[in-house]
Amino acid sequence: MTLSHLATEDVFVVERNDADFRAGQGMTKGLGIVFRKFRKALFGKPNSDRADTEGQFNVQYPEERLVLPEAYRNMPILLYDDATGHELCTSCFQCERICPPQVIHITQAKDPATGKPVPAAANFVLEYDTCMSCGYCAEVCPFDAIKMDHDFELSTGNHPELDVNYDRLLRPISYYEAIAPTMWSDVKEQAMKKLQNNIKRRPGAIGRDHGQKVKGGAAVAVAATPVAGAAPAAAAKPRGPVAAIGKNMPEEKVAKLISIRAANAAKRGGGDAGAAPVAEAAPIVETVVDTPAASAAPSGPVAAIGQNMSEDKRAKLEAIRAAKRAQRGE
Amino acid sequence: MADALTQLGFASWLSVLIASIIKVTLILVGGSVGMMFLTWYERRAISYMQDRRGPNRVGPQGLLQPISEAIKTMTKEDATPREADRIVHFLAPVVMLGATVLSFAVIPWGRMFPVDLNAAVLFVIATGGLHSIGMMMAGWGSNNKFALLGGMRGVAQLISYEIPQVMAIIPVVLMTGSMSLQKIVEAQNDFGGLGWFVFSPVGLLGFALFFTASLAEGERTPFDIPEADSEIIAGYMTEYSGMKFAVFYLSNYMSNLAVCFITATLYLGGGNGPGVDALGGFAGGLLSLIYFLLKSFALFFIMVLIRATVPRLRVDQLMGFAWKFLLPLVLVNILSASFWVALLRWDQQWPQLTEWFGAPSTADATNWGRLAIAVVLTLLINAGAVALIMRLTNRNVQKHLYTTDEELALGLS
Repeated sequence: MTLSHLATEDVFVVERNDADFRAGQGMTKGLGIVFRKFRKALFGKPNSDRADTEGQFNVQYPEERLVLPEAYRNMPILLYDDATGHELCTSCFQCERICPPQVIHITQAKDPATGKPVPAAANFVLEYDTCMSCGYCAEVCPFDAIKMDHDFELSTGNHPELDVNYDRLLRPISYYEAIAPTMWSDVKEQAMKKLQNNIKRRPGAIGRDHGQKVKGGAAVAVAATPVAGAAPAAAAKPRGPVAAIGKNMPEEKVAKLISIRAANAAKRGGGDAGAAPVAEAAPIVETVVDTPAASAAPSGPVAAIGQNMSEDKRAKLEAIRAAKRAQRGE
Repeated sequence: MADALTQLGFASWLSVLIASIIKVTLILVGGSVGMMFLTWYERRAISYMQDRRGPNRVGPQGLLQPISEAIKTMTKEDATPREADRIVHFLAPVVMLGATVLSFAVIPWGRMFPVDLNAAVLFVIATGGLHSIGMMMAGWGSNNKFALLGGMRGVAQLISYEIPQVMAIIPVVLMTGSMSLQKIVEAQNDFGGLGWFVFSPVGLLGFALFFTASLAEGERTPFDIPEADSEIIAGYMTEYSGMKFAVFYLSNYMSNLAVCFITATLYLGGGNGPGVDALGGFAGGLLSLIYFLLKSFALFFIMVLIRATVPRLRVDQLMGFAWKFLLPLVLVNILSASFWVALLRWDQQWPQLTEWFGAPSTADATNWGRLAIAVVLTLLINAGAVALIMRLTNRNVQKHLYTTDEELALGLS
């Protein structure tokens, strides 16, 4: 057979090492290679670079774990804002529409007073058992509300448990930021902006983190159990109006602040038509001042309130802001 | 052992019975525990050759893994095909295991001999040959075409390789003048326990040939043609499951272990080594046992290394290798062994030898001149034969897998 019709660079010439006398040199060489691999795997350093061809590759899984790449994706989760407890999801149904195995089921929230749809989800069910981890939902979400989790140890003997409801899907933004910092910082600004706009259209407690509402603070911890560490920060956070008031504020200033807030609440109470306690809504933004997860805070002037600001300045700022809100007619 | 029991006050027949039962138990337990260790050893060793870790969870370093496997196989369903010959199907693994266990009877564990037969070499060969009966029974009794093919292949392979294997032992028997394994071990005790046959040209070639033929005898890769998974599923074991399969497995590994033991005994001096004679007594016996096991497991490591390196041969390559390569070399080796014996031992048989080179070596004085001449002569014969036969077998090997344009132009092909 001749290969002359092929270009020379197409032909890989494999020369036998010595056609005249072959006395097992090839076999000896082969045995030598295998023995070297044996030696390197047994005594050498474990393989650290994926491009290496020798050394122990195995990771002793339960004891040792590989660092997962940021873009690793397993199952979808939903995010909520650490500071306000507001979910990012607006029930726009984009994810439900794109989901190839159709495992996402959203119920839109309705304003109890008017019966009109509100940009928030009343319930959100994801069938983890049929989810194929394609990540389309996370890609299509215009509000960056649905993201792919890194937790892969979901094995269970209880099958119905794999139909995951809203409470168990929710994770604080700080958790997502911990597992995928650069990916979140890319979208952080627009996501938080959109969230602020949506919060305005959510009356009362609608759209507030289900886990918090239904089971109290503990629910978040339940939702995030497999990856303890990132989530609890948010769960433990105080959200009452008192939190905003620093512990070492002079008393007159505290009184001032409270009066401002009361005025604020009164103004808003008129427009809200008997909705849920608004007093709670106002200071939510301020909580950020004291939270460790300040980076996750809504953008805008709030970030400017640094922790080392003098107390009266802080009170002034607060007053100005309250006035602005009143002007806007919130 | 029987004598010691008689002294303790047992009747002579009873002491013989008790001693035999103890020996049999030791052989059976030693064989199966050795096999369990061997499976673990092979799996760990081959794992590291493939950059893995192997079983390391059950017990320390996974040492108890074989026990968990044994429990697993025992609890599995033991299925027999409806159309199978039930009796033959049932007996096949028993015959296989029985043949293997028999060969353990004569293996010297260092300085300890369960049974010292004066024809132990023949006994080992004979029990090794029984294997093919078990194989054929399994192949026939299963009533399955793959099983039958595997059985046929196994028998063909065993018959072919038994010839070079047996004839590779002849130089050892010639050099020792005995077929008793105990005598063979004793004959390798010169030079401070390092007078192993493998250090002589005759023994080196014999070792290589015997070990290669034994690989085929034990159906190890690259000679695992009877069990070629990619062609005939599992060969004669196709229709076996549960404990019967485990018995086949057990007998395979035990025969591999036996092959390592026999090779270590015949060529690597058995339990001989520096310090054994100096220590003497029980400590010496223990040291010799350690030497013996070390040698055997080093040999098994080579088996594993070969398994991890070499792909399976074709049937025609297998047969060609046995008949065209091993057999001529084995015959040449017998010739050079005869020269070796003549040059080292002959005194009155050929008086001129003593005249020219001096008296043959005795236990006190080594005749280095005779030894040097014997080494050089046998080395020349063996190396020449290896070179010639390799050249002959490679004569028709193509240089390339295709024809170059230059060769075409020159009309060379």
